[in-house]
Amino acid sequence: MPPEAPAPEDLTPQEAAQWARRAGLPLADERLAAVTATANHIQAVVATLRELDFGDVPPAPAYAVEPLARAYTDELEVSRATV
Amino acid sequence: MRPYELTLADAAAAIRAKELSPVELTESVLARAEAVESHLHAFVGVRAAEARRAAAEAQDEMAAGRHRGPLHGVPLGLKDLIDVKGQPTTASSSVRSDHIAAEDSTVAARLADAGAVLLGKTHTHEFAYGLTTPQTRNAWDEGRVAGGSSGGSAVAVAAGAATFAIGTDTGGSIRVPAALNGVVGLKPTYGLVPRYGVTSLSWSLDHVGPVTRTVEDAALVLAALTGHDPRDPASIAAPREAYPPHGEGDLTGLRVGVPRNYYFDRVAPDVESAVRDAIDRLRDLGARLVDVDIPMTRYVQAVQWGLMVPEATAYHEGTLRATPELYAPDVRVLLGAGELLLAGDYLRAQRARTLMRRAWARMLAEVDVVVAPSTPLTAAPVGQQSVQWADGSVEGVCDSYVRLSAPANITGVPALTVPVGQGADGLPVGMQLIGRPLGEGTVLRAGRAYEATRADAGRLAPDGGVLGAAASAPTPGLPAPVSAEPAPLSGEPAPTPAVEARN
Repeated sequence: MPPEAPAPEDLTPQEAAQWARRAGLPLADERLAAVTATANHIQAVVATLRELDFGDVPPAPAYAVEPLARAYTDELEVSRATV
Repeated sequence: MRPYELTLADAAAAIRAKELSPVELTESVLARAEAVESHLHAFVGVRAAEARRAAAEAQDEMAAGRHRGPLHGVPLGLKDLIDVKGQPTTASSSVRSDHIAAEDSTVAARLADAGAVLLGKTHTHEFAYGLTTPQTRNAWDEGRVAGGSSGGSAVAVAAGAATFAIGTDTGGSIRVPAALNGVVGLKPTYGLVPRYGVTSLSWSLDHVGPVTRTVEDAALVLAALTGHDPRDPASIAAPREAYPPHGEGDLTGLRVGVPRNYYFDRVAPDVESAVRDAIDRLRDLGARLVDVDIPMTRYVQAVQWGLMVPEATAYHEGTLRATPELYAPDVRVLLGAGELLLAGDYLRAQRARTLMRRAWARMLAEVDVVVAPSTPLTAAPVGQQSVQWADGSVEGVCDSYVRLSAPANITGVPALTVPVGQGADGLPVGMQLIGRPLGEGTVLRAGRAYEATRADAGRLAPDGGVLGAAASAPTPGLPAPVSAEPAPLSGEPAPTPAVEARN
């Protein structure tokens, strides 16, 4: 497990507005509450991944399926070899 | 039997035997579409004149001795994320009101080469970013959701308004509506069907595949769609493969993984019962049932959202700034919230996906397919946002529909949904058969063998969604609808409705 780290904090509507401006998408005041609540909910879900210890694990090869298929083949071979 | 009631395989056989012409079939399906469309709203638009012209051309070709195969002269619907040259690809969105496709998508071109007759484009949840397809109603009960995002495709097929259809699947968008409407849907291996010319929701999760009345039909359609296309960077450089439509009924030797965790958690009792009955039938066909533990289930939703949310926002970056008011409110909020996710979250999701693929590969080394419910509950009443499970937990309806589909999108493995009967509410239940990468042949074989045991395989939805409002009432013993508004979770402030609209 990775070292304990404080859970990410929710954005306030004011912070969300600032982040959105930085992203080049200014948010009208009447939209702030909904976007902030949704962003915080998404963040709460994806923050679960901080529990994982990735070590040297690289990102998945998202757009090349041959590495994907090879990865499965390799795992199958390893699995069979160890049975 | 009227032509629109024929499955693809039966229609193709009748055409081949000169018992039915493409024009007769197309006229019958067009008439059926006209009869049901006013209340089901499966299509963005039906292009009857063009369909009649294509059917006549197919008929002329056959008269001249050229037969292109089982799709020749058979009418279909295309999800309106898929480009057809000269036609708008609306994505069921006002954002695309002026769009005209400059060329055919790969799948549209391949279907045209196969001689299929395009009836029109079918509705999607806007840009595929949702699980209900609100424009469209369930083919079995107009008071229930169609499912999504390929809701129009599934409803059209279930109602006999298209002999087959094409959908896309980023987190269940083929399998969920197919299951909720009692038809077959196949999400192939990632990269097997090229996505060139198909509007993306999430590049690393998107798949294209068939929606059909039977597994046999799905095999026929898949064979026409596969093959490498360098214009899709994920496209597999593998030779095209035929998927024998008439699979062996004997499944002796097939190892079927039955999940001990996750896939039967928080599943309606009647859905579980129907799926377990179907698993028993697989066993009776000779399959060996093997208990399996699904790995890393705690992280499924986190990986799905961590990938999909930023990828979708990136795809819409330009139009979200140029014409944000043209998006539906739920999609606009999601796209805006995606701007606030950190790059580190996206990379963490991709790294977790690496771990998940490895873990699934180890599990799939022990079995040939994994069986599971396609959705935890049948089609929800329109407007229902949340469901309360027996353990007391409350879950958004859309989150619930994605929950059992997402693992196959994340890992890229093929997953087929097959109808396995109806729940206590009389609405369809689907079973997933999940295979190894490029294991479509095995998945289709198992599905076909199961299907052959059912007298009702390939059935259409009851005429006109005859179950009607009476069936939309809550059924005793089933998960309770909570309210039309999202319910508070664990005492926390309620999430916004948009959060629950996930593909």
